This record gives sequence, C-alpha cells and structure tokens, in this order.
Amino acid sequence: MTQVSTQGAVTPPVGRGESRGFRGRTRSLIVRFNLLLIFLALCALGAILSPNFANPNNISNLLQQSSLVGIAAIGMTFVILTANIDLSVGSVAALAGMTVAIFIAGGMNMWLAFALSVAIGLIAGSVMGGLSAYFTLPSFMVTLAGLVGIRGLTYLLSDGTPVTGIPDQLAYLGSGRIGPVPVVGLIFIGVTVISALVLNFTVFGEHVYSTGSNPEAARLSGVNVKKIITITFAICGGLAALSGVLLTARLTVGQPTANEGLELDAIAAVVLGGTSLFGGSGGVFGTFIAVFMLAVIRNIFNLMGLGSFYQMVVTGVILIIALLLNRLLENRGKR
Amino acid sequence: MSGSQLLSMRGISKRYLGVQALDDASLDVRQGEVMCLLGENGAGKSTLIKILTGSVTPDFGVIELAGEVIEVRSPLEAARRGISVVHQELDLVPDQTVAQNLYIGREPTRFGIVDKARRRQEAADALERVGAHFSPNARVRDLTVVQRQLTMIARALTVNARVLVMDEPSATLTAEELSHVFTVVREVASGGCSVLYISHRMEEVFEIGNRATVMRDGRTVAVHDLAAVTQDGLIAEMLGDQRTLVDRPLRDGSHTIAGGLDIKSVVIPGVLEISGITAPRGQVTGLIGLGGSGRSTLLSALFGAIKAQRDVTLDGRAYHPHSPRSAISQKVGLVPEDRKSQGLMINRSVWNNLIEPSLNQRLTMPSQRRFTTPRSVVSALGIRLSSLTQRVRELSGGNQQKVVLGKWLVDASTVLLLDEPTRGLDVGAKADLFDEVHKLADSGTCVLLASSELPEVFANCDTIHVLYEGSLAGSFHPGSNTVDQVLQAMLGVKGAQ
Repeated sequence: MTQVSTQGAVTPPVGRGESRGFRGRTRSLIVRFNLLLIFLALCALGAILSPNFANPNNISNLLQQSSLVGIAAIGMTFVILTANIDLSVGSVAALAGMTVAIFIAGGMNMWLAFALSVAIGLIAGSVMGGLSAYFTLPSFMVTLAGLVGIRGLTYLLSDGTPVTGIPDQLAYLGSGRIGPVPVVGLIFIGVTVISALVLNFTVFGEHVYSTGSNPEAARLSGVNVKKIITITFAICGGLAALSGVLLTARLTVGQPTANEGLELDAIAAVVLGGTSLFGGSGGVFGTFIAVFMLAVIRNIFNLMGLGSFYQMVVTGVILIIALLLNRLLENRGKR
Repeated sequence: MSGSQLLSMRGISKRYLGVQALDDASLDVRQGEVMCLLGENGAGKSTLIKILTGSVTPDFGVIELAGEVIEVRSPLEAARRGISVVHQELDLVPDQTVAQNLYIGREPTRFGIVDKARRRQEAADALERVGAHFSPNARVRDLTVVQRQLTMIARALTVNARVLVMDEPSATLTAEELSHVFTVVREVASGGCSVLYISHRMEEVFEIGNRATVMRDGRTVAVHDLAAVTQDGLIAEMLGDQRTLVDRPLRDGSHTIAGGLDIKSVVIPGVLEISGITAPRGQVTGLIGLGGSGRSTLLSALFGAIKAQRDVTLDGRAYHPHSPRSAISQKVGLVPEDRKSQGLMINRSVWNNLIEPSLNQRLTMPSQRRFTTPRSVVSALGIRLSSLTQRVRELSGGNQQKVVLGKWLVDASTVLLLDEPTRGLDVGAKADLFDEVHKLADSGTCVLLASSELPEVFANCDTIHVLYEGSLAGSFHPGSNTVDQVLQAMLGVKGAQ
C-alpha cells in the first residue's frame, strides 16, 4: 500500500480536505452494523421480558427453528444480489423433501438420495435461471411459474399424501444436536460462512456484485452475465433443496405441503438484512442476522404467551420499521 | 436583450463528503439573456445548478428571483417558481407520449378527467413554438436525442419558465441538431425567459451566450460580457494559474510500429458495411462521423459486443471476438460511449471498477496490498481520489472517465477502442486524457478513437476515417488534408477526397 503512494498516487479530496473524522466514522459503523445493534437490542428486550429467553435450551431451539429458512435465505441472497428474485424456493424445497423420501422408500442408499435430491433443486434452479437469463424473461414470472408448477409436480409424485420411512441417521441431521448445538444450525452456519467467503474473496462473488450493479458495464468488462445469473439461481435452488431435505429429515416424513411460503420468509430476511432488491449491494452476513432477528421476535411472543396472530401482525410492522430505519441511515450516510 | 436582474444567487456554500464543493459562489442572471456557466469539472457548476433546481440544499446562501428571496427545497418547488431544467440525462418517461410528458403532474382536466384533446392541442402548439416536427402522440422512446431535448424545452415553455437551465445540451447532439436547438433558445430568450447555459464547448458559448460566469474551485471568479473577452482569456480563468492550455501540435504519425488492427471488412446487414481501415500500433486512428454514421457500432463490433460478420486481423492473425470476454482475452479494451450506463459500476469502489476486466483470468480476488497495478494506474492517470475504496459516483466526470480508461491499463490492453472518450469533460480534463492516450500510442498501443468532434479528432489522430451512414466515406491525414475536406465527407458530399 505504501509503495506507490509516495509518488502521490492518492491525492486528498479536492477542496479543503477534511477527512470524515471520528464522528463520521462512528456513524458509518452504525450504518453498517445497525442491524446487529437492533438485533442485540431485541435480544436484551427478550431477556428482560422473559427469564427463559437467555436459557441455552431456548437459544438452541431458536437456532433449530431458524436454520431451515436461513439456508434458503442465503441462496436467495445470491439471486437478489444480481437484481433477480426466486419465488420458487418453497416449491423446490418441497420437491426435494419429497424426492428424498420417495428415493429412500424405494430402497436407495440414503446419502445418494440426499445428494440426488439436492441436485434436483440445483437443476430446477439453473433451468429457471437459465430461462430467465438467456431468453431475457423476467425472473419474477419464470419463478412464479416454477412456484406453481413444481408444487404441482410434488403433489403428483406422492399422489398428495405424505411419504414416511426416513432412517434414523438422516433424522439425526434434521433434529439431532452436537452437545447443545443443533446439527441444522451448524449446517446453516457452515453455508453462511462458505457463501460469505465465495462472495467476498472469489472472482465469481465479485461478478455477482458487478452483475447486480450494472449488467451492461459488467458484460463490457468481460463478465458472462447470463452464466453468472444462471449459477446464482442454481445455488439458490440447491440450497432450497437442502433446506427441504433437512425438513423431511426433521419431520421424518416427506410432505407435499411442506415449506409453503418459504420464499416470502427468505425474501423478507434477505431484504431485512440490507441486501438491495436492485442488486449489487448487501451480503449474507445481513441475511444471517435478519433470519435470527425474525426468529427472536417470534420467540419473544411465544415466551410471552401471545398467539401467532399477534406475531404475524407485529412481524409485518417490524419489517416496515426496519426497512425505514435502514433507508434513513443509508441516506444519512450519503449526505 | 439585457433586461433587469432576474435571478441572483449570493454567498452560496456547500460542503459534502468532506469536500467544499461551493465556497461563497454567486450567480446573476438578467431577464432575457443567455448566461453561460463555465468551469472545469469539479469547479462547482453542477452543485450550483442542483441548488438552484432544488435537488441539493445549500449550507449558506441566498437565492433571489425577481427581487424576492426564495427557498428552493425541492425540484417541484423550483418548477413551481418557474425554474426549468433540460438535463444531460433527459428525464422524460420513455413509454409515454410527448403530450403526456409535457403535462406530467399537471394534466388539464375536465370534471376530474384528463382532457386529452386539449392536452394534445396545447402540446402541439408548444411543439410548434420550438419548431419540432413530430406528433404530440409520438412515444418518447421513439424520439431522437434532439427531439427529446426539444420536448424538454417545450415543457419549459408550457410552464411559463422564467429561467431555463440547459445542462450540457450539446453533449449528445450533432452540429445541425445543435444549431436548431440554438435557434429555439434564442427565441425563448427573446421572449423574456432567461437561459442558463452550461457547456464545455467554447465555440458554443460564444455563439449562444450574452454573458459568462466563470467558476473555479467552488468560487465565482469572473463575470464577462462575451463580446468583450477572448476564448483564451476565458480558458485561462477556468484553469487558473495551474496550467495553460496548449493547442496541441498535430501528431507527426512517425511512431508506427508493426502490427495492429487490419479491418478488411465488418458487416452488419442493413446497418454497417465497412472495409479497408487499418489501425497500426503506435498510432491514434480516428473514426469520425455524425450521429448514426456507425462509429460506435463499428467499435462495438470490433469488441465482440454485438453480432457482425468480421474479417479482421490483429497483428496478422485472424481476430474473431465472439464476446467482449474473448476480445478482452486478446488484450482489446473498449471505453464505451456512455460511462455511467456502460462503463462504470457507479456505486462500487474505484478499486472494484479498475480491476474488473483483469479478473477474468483469476479465480480469487486479489488483495489491495499485493496487487499494486491499479494503484500505479491511478497515479499514472492522475486520478484524484481520497482512497481506492471511494465510490466512483463521488468522483468528478473527468476522473470517472479516467477510471474507465484505467480499467484497460491494469491489464495492459494493447488495443484500445475509445468511443467518445471526452464526452462531458472540460478542456483541462480533455487535454489530460489525450496526453495519456498519446503516451499509450507512443508505447505501441493501437488506439482507435471514435468521436463526433472534428477539432478533437483533427488534433489528436494520425489518420482520420470518416464514416457516413454506415460506410467509409473517406480517409484523411491531418497533415495533408484540411478540416473542410473532412467536414464535407462527414456531411456526405461526394468526391470530397
């Protein structure tokens, strides 16, 4: 960094160059981590309202409940970063959760069934992403078609009835714990960490951001924009399928009605996590926190004995407040 | 012509992003005059205009309109006060008709229902007044750039604008189009509306303006009657004492190095049919032509950005770029016509933009500490920034353009396709940019420069190829041909050579 700067590579800003200073820096940190602060505040609130909140068992449950949505939301982050959207994740998750049960019921090795089912999600995602990218169809419509069509396919596969017979080892993946930590929680954390590494340190990750920032500039810089979009949909489909398979593992039954509305939970978490629907900015860290935040809100309500109707209303209100707060802080950061 | 004082901005200061953009700036405009606003990029012109039109709030300062102190808190309020803007980026709704756009937000109604017939009639009248020959029912997306500008001016007329702000209207216009716009501007001014005209082109300023305000480093340094000042005098004031503008001596064309692009033919049926252009290494080869002549299309075809039948060799070997990516892998780079929509990721950092093309060879992101080439490119091009992680949107236009050029220097491209690289730049920034381009050519880069500005091409190119309606209309040398010959070929006069 110091090598070339002696030649005056970096001149101070034009005019009377006053740097942003301490206050500015603190403010930009607050902007950057405002979500984390809100999250911590919520946790503190939870601890005050209910003595059970900070109980390790409760936290472990929190992780267990939020991880499946979280895994799908991480995949969704990739897609939204390219300024696209995937409405099909709930159906893809259900399809994969169903196929894994059917494969195993048919006598297939369970790990092979696991891998095949995730691959099915990957393929479903890449087909939808490819259709959208190469034929310039809006991803909203393509994946809406996927949402309906793939759900229908799931019903057809099982004739509308649940499929049972999940072996214990697979069930352990879905509901087991290592010490106090749920296995799905570890998988969620692993997926998040790997995704963060991919987005921040690989050229593919950079290309995801460039595609979302300005697809034409990216194309003229040699980025194969269509391929990048297709891959993000494949990742999203694959992670949705993983989430679906893990749900089947937890319930030990494949249900055609599983994961309904998963796409909305996932999108809510991504956007709440600060990833822009216009693409090009955000990341999986925000999504990770947002997933927990939504779970914590729900948890506080449960601990306080308030019904799910209240939860839904308040979750909606909190989403709006969080978005407004994000926007306010963002605008302030710009001025 | 020069009536009473209409608009007065005094003591305007604005600081943002740690930069004093305006420092006690002032501006006075009389009724019915064309006031030109001059200054280098970063001199504070845009900020001053943004304050006048309500999109930026000043830290200090007073705005007076017709003797009344006003506060302009939003663009809407500016419009209501009679301040109308014709932007560089024309803000019209592309999918609506001209008439809809003219009356957007204040549709004439009858019993609460939009009175379409009246709107169409009034729109037609307004278009008539600006000498526009297109229907008010035309969709804006089908209009040419000049037609859109006329629409904007017509809109200003329909709101009875008192001040019409024209922000570099000429940047995207050809000469004839511009002269038409000028005629309209003169009529508007003679009707009592004041015009604030912002441009980098000196000839235009002298052609259209009555007075000029010169800004530098956020201050107003001088106000002149344009009849009583010379072009050189104005330029010296804009630049300050930091440097004097050199009228560049013609390139001597002696630097030719073996190799380069040999364009035997490039054909896009019905659009482009070019043959017989060579762009040797070590030279700056110019492509000039009016809007629609195929300059940009040819460069895009050479960059693999659009489909075309190509018979082109690069350094003697067949060159068939089927995508920008494949062109880049052969060390060819394109500086596209529109830096904001094609050249830059405006919300990302300078670093991310600079390294973008060189990432294609990599799997993982390079670290800023290890990969020092971008930093030396910044230093070599003299890009002014506070840090490599600064967002590109925070840079001035000239510096942004240098970032677009710099993208291709990080990986040492040996063929540079430059499409209107000086668009929207001021004199100083233009000179800077061409200095770099010449250095690159001298070091063996093959430079193909497409432009619509004849003096610029004449001064900076070794050979000039004129395109006219998609085909090659003639090839010239600045040393042995005159500007008039080139101009005639540009205008399609046969046998110009």
